Amino acid sequence: MPWPTTRRVIGTKVSRLDGPEKATGRAKYSYDINRPGMLHARILRCPHAHARIKSIDTAALEKVAGFRAFHIVRNAGFECRFAGDEVLGVCADTEEHAEDCLRAVRVDYDVLPHAVKEADARRLGAGQGTVGSPPNGPQNPANAQPGGDFATANFDEQAYQGTSHQIEGTYGVPVISHQCLESHGLVAEWNQDQSELTVWASTQAVPNTANQLAQNFKIPAARVRCITHYMGGGFGSKFGPDIQGTVCAELARKTRAPVKLMLDRAEEVTVGGQRPSAYGTVKVAGNRQGDIRAFEVDCYGSPGVGGGATVNFNLLPYVYVTVPFVKRRHQIVRMNVQTARAMRAPGHPQNCILTDQALDDLAAALNMNPMELRLRNLPPNDPNALKTAPNTYMARRNSIYRSQIEIIRKMCDWDRAWHPPGRGDGVVKTGLGMGLHTWGGGGRGPNPTRITISADGSVLVQSSSQDLGTGQRTVTAIVAAEIFGLEPTDITVQIGESQHGPSTPSGGSTTCPGTAPAVLNAAEAARTAFLAAIAPRLNAQAGDLVIERGSILNRANNERTPWRQACARLGQNPVQANGDWAAGLSDQGVGGVQVAEVKVDTETGVVRCTRFWAVQDCGLLINKLCCESQVAGGVIMGVNYALFEECIYDRATGRQVNPDMEFYKLGGIQDMPQIYVHMMDMPERGVIGIGEPPTISTAAAVGNAVFNAIGVRVEHAPFTPERVLAALARRK
Amino acid sequence: MSDIKETTGLSRRQFLKGSGAAAAATALGTAAAPSAQAAQPPAAQQVPGMGPAGVKITLQVNGRKMSSTVEPRVTLLDALRNYLDVTGCKRVCDRGTCGACTVLLDNKPVYACSMLALEAQGKEIRTAESLVQGAKLDAVPAAFVRFDAQQCGFCTPGFVVAMKAVLEQNPKATPAEVEKGLAGNICRCGTYEQMRDAIYSLCNTKRG
Repeated sequence: MPWPTTRRVIGTKVSRLDGPEKATGRAKYSYDINRPGMLHARILRCPHAHARIKSIDTAALEKVAGFRAFHIVRNAGFECRFAGDEVLGVCADTEEHAEDCLRAVRVDYDVLPHAVKEADARRLGAGQGTVGSPPNGPQNPANAQPGGDFATANFDEQAYQGTSHQIEGTYGVPVISHQCLESHGLVAEWNQDQSELTVWASTQAVPNTANQLAQNFKIPAARVRCITHYMGGGFGSKFGPDIQGTVCAELARKTRAPVKLMLDRAEEVTVGGQRPSAYGTVKVAGNRQGDIRAFEVDCYGSPGVGGGATVNFNLLPYVYVTVPFVKRRHQIVRMNVQTARAMRAPGHPQNCILTDQALDDLAAALNMNPMELRLRNLPPNDPNALKTAPNTYMARRNSIYRSQIEIIRKMCDWDRAWHPPGRGDGVVKTGLGMGLHTWGGGGRGPNPTRITISADGSVLVQSSSQDLGTGQRTVTAIVAAEIFGLEPTDITVQIGESQHGPSTPSGGSTTCPGTAPAVLNAAEAARTAFLAAIAPRLNAQAGDLVIERGSILNRANNERTPWRQACARLGQNPVQANGDWAAGLSDQGVGGVQVAEVKVDTETGVVRCTRFWAVQDCGLLINKLCCESQVAGGVIMGVNYALFEECIYDRATGRQVNPDMEFYKLGGIQDMPQIYVHMMDMPERGVIGIGEPPTISTAAAVGNAVFNAIGVRVEHAPFTPERVLAALARRK
Repeated sequence: MSDIKETTGLSRRQFLKGSGAAAAATALGTAAAPSAQAAQPPAAQQVPGMGPAGVKITLQVNGRKMSSTVEPRVTLLDALRNYLDVTGCKRVCDRGTCGACTVLLDNKPVYACSMLALEAQGKEIRTAESLVQGAKLDAVPAAFVRFDAQQCGFCTPGFVVAMKAVLEQNPKATPAEVEKGLAGNICRCGTYEQMRDAIYSLCNTKRG
């Protein structure tokens, strides 16, 4: 069944159902779970960026007040490859005593060479590497390895033919941290005979966390229950139990008591996930009319110590994918810091930084308005997609961006407010800059959802999916309320418990498009079953009954029975039905255009982002209120990326010097712009995710606005006063 | 070298003598001898020796007396969360930066992570949980809900308490003054824009 064409609740602004619980501190997050007799655990971590464990001496633990148990994660001989690598877990009766336990353990290390700056890591040759030797591979291979080269055929011969203008610029963003406010962690509790495990975990993947723990402890998956009723932010960094999950459950098993293990702030920042850095030199060339012919990039980034990718550089040039000549060189630079994890639109903001800023530099060289340059170089609607899938991003991308640019042009008064770079008057200069982005955000199954209608008129919706703070609980209620003619507050939603069955992890903006269709299908099945059950008791044919707002209409005689009265006819037998995700109700692929206004103080170098405009599509809107919140929140995360955030690693010790919230800067309310959001409702496309896209082009737009204000490019984010002043000095 | 007079009227030498005596008393686990006390300034006299073992404390939380035994090193935040199961105040930075642990102490907003539980005895402590009676929400959390000024919600109780403090101290506060009162709080999901809608509504001011 398709989405209802007339919608009463879907697409309106609905306050989130769990809002009162959260705003008054009554909502219980994993961090807030206190169980009777609960112990507290901590993890001892390697303080060196690279070291081999020589010995671990736990003898003194027995003398520590409150000590209960320890669990060794890494044995002597293990090579720790970043400061923060787990060595041992310990638990005690109180958190204070668990802290004392950490100080009682003595670990001796052979300290080994490290590199925690991309530039240092790139200088290390074969045999000098600091990130370990692969099994059966060469000893200490270089930290920097090719990440793949690509060139369009005949690039060297033809790319720059017929071009009149060319720029070369350097752009970059550092490693940043997710900084989830609720840190990673959990409470673990076994039943009496230790055959069943319950965890309250802060996770974006409830069933996945339960399943991984079941595998680790070799017990049936059905015997592990994961509960995540409330979750304090994940942004892509919380997809399983992690090492601390296993340590916590192991300590709970050893002590036969519930154990809580939540990372402290320093741990959260140094081991809880990072977004890889990206630095590059970009050449872009075009003709006098502004047709871009060539895009050439030489870039590198660090995924930390792990061997994974940095960013998917195949996306370059980002969005403008039909530039005829492209050449890419990419280097993966491993260094002795934690391994990267997915972070809100993994790879996209970096690619956007490397593309959209270079475009503005070319526009300046061409003496052209950058909005015009973009309109001229947008990828066309894909003719093949137009035939086969006319509602998809591929089929409509040119039209989507064109209409979004038109909307934002008016919203921000671009034609009047934009000026050529550096043309502002006075000491504090104002600038406008823009950026474009795209994201998938497609849904999939399995997301089995069960709906129960009871004689008291209550409607219960159950699935194991989780609400990260996106408003998933409310989305679920909205869809059900639409079908049953009720209000979202009439619906009881139980999510975030693994025993409700499988569900897809909340990553990549897939939750709403993965679950809303499942709720719709379950609600429609429940409606059919419900009408069939009550029809004989209303002396009606089921086919004559329709649900209206608050009542059931018998079209044969125009009699209306209020919802509660109709439900009362169910007697002792509630109606229950299931539904799952099915193709056709969701889609993938969105555009998005953003414009930043900044004021740059040319004497102090301070950049303030003062106003911000965002136009975003996400297919069929379910909850317009929460969609707008997602977009504004994405923008704020992007402004942080542009102006404040950076993991700063100390070259000498190999440790992060700002694993905190004091020197790792995040903007407060007074640091953030007024944000104007325009949501495009495109119901014919079905549901598409909204979480990632709005944070992608923000930093690039801010960078372009700074360039527009002062007429000189600040190469690397964050655009701190020091860097702005250095850039201004370079101009003079 | 002559003593340096402090503005408190307590000389450096007196202070060192006083704290030394207090430390000695602590080490002995007894009250300082009267003769030693006589030589001490009044401030040092009042420092009781306690710990390192648990000490019985009673806190007045949201109108209720709550007791537990905590070590003197336990912060107010940890006492509330770990010992009294009052979890509306959240632990995030634990270093007085993010404001997620903000509580009202005799009507003043404080970072509960940055004071000891012992220091909070005898004071009226209010957390976000106090801003709801049955189903009746206080105007501040109600505005957060209405304007969707929260996403994951982990920072929200701290913001709610900080905003409540500003509006209690000055019911006629302007939106800019309320924003200033939230400068000690950090949100990661990025709810500031919606928070401004809530602020303008609470200040009965139309947003331009």
